[in-house]
Amino acid sequence: MGAADYQVDEKGHLEKNNYLNCEKGLKSWLFTIDHKRIALLYLGAMILFFLVGGLAAVLIRLHLWSSDSKLLSPDMYNVLFTLHGVLMIFLFIVPGIPAVLGNFLLPLMIGAKDVAFPRLNLFSFWIYLLGALIGFIGLLDPVWLVSKIKGSAIGTWMPLDTGWTFYTPYSTSTGAGSGWGTIIMTFAAFVLGFSSILTGLNFIVTIHRLRAPGLTWFKLPVFVWSLYATSIIQVLATPVVGITLLLLIAEKVLGVGIFDPEKGGDPILYQHFFWFYSHPVVYIMVLPAFGIIGEIIPIFSRKPIFGYSAVVFSSVGIAAVSFIVWAHHMYTAGMSPFSQAFFSATTFGVAIPTAIKVFNWVSTMYKGAISFEAPMLYAMAFVFLFMIAGTTGIFLATLGLDIFYHDTYFVVAHFHYTIQGGAVIGLIAGLHLWFPKITGKMYNKKLAIFAFWLIFIGFNVTFLPQFILGVQGMPRRYAFYIPEFEPMHRLSTIGMFFNAIGYTLALLNLALSWVFSKEKAPANPYKALGLEWQAPSPPPHDNFINTPIVTVGRYDYGKPLEDLGLKGGVSG
Amino acid sequence: MKIVPEKASTIASDFDFLNLVLFIASAFFTVAIVGVMLYFAFRYRRRSNEDLDKTPRIYGNHILEIIWTAIPTVVVIFIAWWGIVLREKMFAVDSDHITVFVNSWKWAWEFRYETGKKSSGKDAVLVVPVNKPVKLILTSKDVIHSLFIPAVRVKQDAVPGSYKYMTFTPTRIGEYPIFCTEYCGTQHSTMMAKLRVVSQEEFDVWVNYVETDEGPSAELGKKLYSELGCNACHSLDGSRLVGPSFKGLYGSERELSDGSIVVADDAYILESIQYPLKKLVAGYPPAMPAYSLKDEEYLGLLSFIKEVTFGKDQGEELVSILLDEDKVPEDDALLQPEQRGARLVQQKGCVACHSLDGSQLVGPSFKGAWGSTREFTDDSTGKVDEEYVRESIYEPNKRIVKGYLPAMPSYQGQLSEEQINDIIEFLKSLK
Amino acid sequence: MAESVYSKVGGRGAPPVYHHIDPINAYHAAKFGMWLFLATEILLFSVLFTAFAIYNWAYFESFQHAATKLDWKLGGLNTLILLFSSCTAAIAVYKAQINDNQGVVKNFTVSFICGLAFLVIKYFEYSAKYRHGYFPGTELWNSAEFSTQYKNYFGLYYVMTGLHALHVLIGMGVLLWVIFLARRERFSEKYYTPVELAALYWHLVDLIWIFLFPLLYLID
Repeated sequence: MGAADYQVDEKGHLEKNNYLNCEKGLKSWLFTIDHKRIALLYLGAMILFFLVGGLAAVLIRLHLWSSDSKLLSPDMYNVLFTLHGVLMIFLFIVPGIPAVLGNFLLPLMIGAKDVAFPRLNLFSFWIYLLGALIGFIGLLDPVWLVSKIKGSAIGTWMPLDTGWTFYTPYSTSTGAGSGWGTIIMTFAAFVLGFSSILTGLNFIVTIHRLRAPGLTWFKLPVFVWSLYATSIIQVLATPVVGITLLLLIAEKVLGVGIFDPEKGGDPILYQHFFWFYSHPVVYIMVLPAFGIIGEIIPIFSRKPIFGYSAVVFSSVGIAAVSFIVWAHHMYTAGMSPFSQAFFSATTFGVAIPTAIKVFNWVSTMYKGAISFEAPMLYAMAFVFLFMIAGTTGIFLATLGLDIFYHDTYFVVAHFHYTIQGGAVIGLIAGLHLWFPKITGKMYNKKLAIFAFWLIFIGFNVTFLPQFILGVQGMPRRYAFYIPEFEPMHRLSTIGMFFNAIGYTLALLNLALSWVFSKEKAPANPYKALGLEWQAPSPPPHDNFINTPIVTVGRYDYGKPLEDLGLKGGVSG
Repeated sequence: MKIVPEKASTIASDFDFLNLVLFIASAFFTVAIVGVMLYFAFRYRRRSNEDLDKTPRIYGNHILEIIWTAIPTVVVIFIAWWGIVLREKMFAVDSDHITVFVNSWKWAWEFRYETGKKSSGKDAVLVVPVNKPVKLILTSKDVIHSLFIPAVRVKQDAVPGSYKYMTFTPTRIGEYPIFCTEYCGTQHSTMMAKLRVVSQEEFDVWVNYVETDEGPSAELGKKLYSELGCNACHSLDGSRLVGPSFKGLYGSERELSDGSIVVADDAYILESIQYPLKKLVAGYPPAMPAYSLKDEEYLGLLSFIKEVTFGKDQGEELVSILLDEDKVPEDDALLQPEQRGARLVQQKGCVACHSLDGSQLVGPSFKGAWGSTREFTDDSTGKVDEEYVRESIYEPNKRIVKGYLPAMPSYQGQLSEEQINDIIEFLKSLK
Repeated sequence: MAESVYSKVGGRGAPPVYHHIDPINAYHAAKFGMWLFLATEILLFSVLFTAFAIYNWAYFESFQHAATKLDWKLGGLNTLILLFSSCTAAIAVYKAQINDNQGVVKNFTVSFICGLAFLVIKYFEYSAKYRHGYFPGTELWNSAEFSTQYKNYFGLYYVMTGLHALHVLIGMGVLLWVIFLARRERFSEKYYTPVELAALYWHLVDLIWIFLFPLLYLID
């Protein structure tokens, strides 16, 4: 199909023959190898899981309204927080930004027509769904359900209640899932991890081999750099889950003592394996969000990103350090003092590149021309929330303090600040920013800003009190608690309402604008630089009508200093 | 509403101080950075669309990058060091400490003392004397639990199959909650216990009042030492058999087969009984089978090994504590009946004539009196039971034990019925 | 419409046409991707090696003793078989590069048969273990005298060799698929990516065994 087949209007809107309508029918979606359509498939599945996981969170917080709440039985409470954790972590935020925005934008940002292995990309999506299916099977105790149908059920129905960390020997001895729950879940984690590996591998090869002419490594968008760092973690960390699974099965089926002390195993070994994967995973969640913030702030400040190479190297630095910090989840498990000191020191190593990023984002705004559209508001909120997440992270990295804070609400609040305040806010910010590119429509800006404030205020009211609960010594995963903790829990539950309504409103706004808005989005609504804004909105199947050539730097906003009569010569 | 839990241990103020310093530093940096961001947002807000391309194209500044890399680096190195030092202090065990063995299961705690005293179940209480370092040795019977006492700022996982320790020095008398902080299933949130910090005197009375009829721990251990055949491989006199001798074992440094050094503390010894090959002393064959015993049997063996190392004078005798006026709490209601009895026999001057250690004074000794059969001056015999004791207090001369003088006055009217019951309980405890 | 959206399969000996990448770049991308994948495979096994190292250190004597129960002769024979099959796989790549599709078929078939032989020998080894009772579920295995340390050693043995055997199976499937393509004369000096990737994977399978063999069989 030649350039003549595309009728792009003067603003860059492509009404016909764009990737959304060039082919029709369910099959053209489910078996597409177009990275943009695959991104939307991921988005659809993930939002579904996000809503289910969110509903679990709503129930949890309602239950915690009073100290001896009867809303849920303790078992049901345990099941719900497991469901919440598993869905939100493994099905929503780990694939999260890379699978949706990464898939959609990576080829666009580097001027490619697709990722290096489009079929593998589709395959990744399908095994993601397969993993999700296995995960649900593991959660819902299928063995019992089947025997119930057959009429030979023993005991009661017990969905998985291990928490998303599946610590042995609890996870291998609980009756949940008729004893197989944890193994099925680990299998699901492995299948999902396999999907991650393939996506990561695809991205790495794409970045290495498919960059447009002139797009050298140090002209790459910071978002692409963060995807690169993320992909490396995905490829290197995930195999460990596979082996953990295998060892769990060996223990269950062969009776070999690997993790079970009764069989001569060591339960702490499981924690090492688990966190060797699951800690780097935290950076899989949040690094791409860093990238998104690094894209938004220059666009709305009309300034080059401050300290490009510092931002890039800090992403790679975080990825590298993430592999040697895992045991900071285990300070109270009785490791040797030397190991504890070592992992504490390495953990502090994460703080430095993170701080560098924050400083550079803020400095980017200096002497800018800042407009406060929804993505920019989210980005500024991100900086605030991540400051809190980061500084409370310092408390937890500090060896002596973590002995107290470990497994208290302080940790709960901290990781919700990093993951929700960081990764989810980053994802929502990115969805708003690239919404016109993805859909060819514009969202309702006023509603978007209203939803933003609901989310921002609701989020802080939900989780700031949880820091106080942590300081008071409230342990996590408690269905009941002592009455002293009640006021803060109530405040937290009130905040949850605003937070939940905010997310619903923000997502509804995007969905309804896509369906009903008549406003045709131009190719470049923000007058931003960067290759993806050169493609029409929405882009055609091959992304660009003509192969783009990089002439102007992605972040070259504003006027050169010499033109302004200022002293030049400063560079990133 | 209190933000910070009560300070009930020596480490609490160190902890709170570092916590406060970090809070102030965090608040400062957060307010400063977010403040600068908000200032920029306001100062450089877009006034019109003509501003769009008038911004200066600043790419960065090397000096600033170096500064804001250096400052956090210095700050975090300092904090990391402080945190490590605090942890060292938290886990430093004072040589003069009392040891409590903590076992856990779904869903209860158990605290055992070296005297054999035990508190467990839903109402388990960890009783400790104020200002005295405590060392807890933790393990679990099923899944991982974690003992957390906010008031003393420490926490330690109890891992099945191994023994971990934690330590603290309580500084304030009172009751504080203990939580389980490692998720363990249905009743996780109600798996609670209490820390009760009491005076040394009260503690001594409490810990020495043992309900079970097992003898002192070490005696059980001694019995097991021969019954289980430990003596085949472990000598008591330092001579080398198949395994290392028990002599001088406790607290000594051991070189293991892999070259590492461990101290043979409680955790090591308990672990070695259950998992002998895990930490094998260098130069000995891996010959020992694993022993699966009852909790009290493990602790018995441990006490016995300690006794072999330190000699028998550990732990004071019940009687001497009961009789030491200064150590007994004022309030009778706090005491066990036999403790009140012990106080009575002292206050009423019974001990002037009746010894507590078996020696012969004017009257027969109280020790071993209860339940024994006595021969009287009228050649009849009788058992020392409740009836006899009551009679002897009200009408001392009715039946006099052979070989003694009818010297005792009647205490009719001086002792209430309850008091006599207390004395009876006391006599029972002196069996 | 459709032909621009999806890639086409190239003709006889010609590389496939992709819409998004040119053939030379596609070759390099595929090879790079394969190496990354092999890296994850090596990581997968290295976790098992770590677990083995930990328990070998903890239960040194038992592991030494248990290792004597393995038949190092059969293990050694399997090592030779795999080494040989790796050799023929390498030759197959060379044959593809000189446009000899029949050579690819022949050499990969030899590799395939070697893989099969490896699995048959493995089967005999496993069944011998079963007869001796060093197998989960046997009377000896469940008895008290079969210590947890032994179970640990044999458990890791079955996990590691089992996972490796699974890789041999997958590798044989890949070989079969490439043999099928080669019979249709799909390869030439211009296009031999699948041959090379299949051979790379087969080398990995071989390499992992080279580590497993001394670790499991020869530690006494």
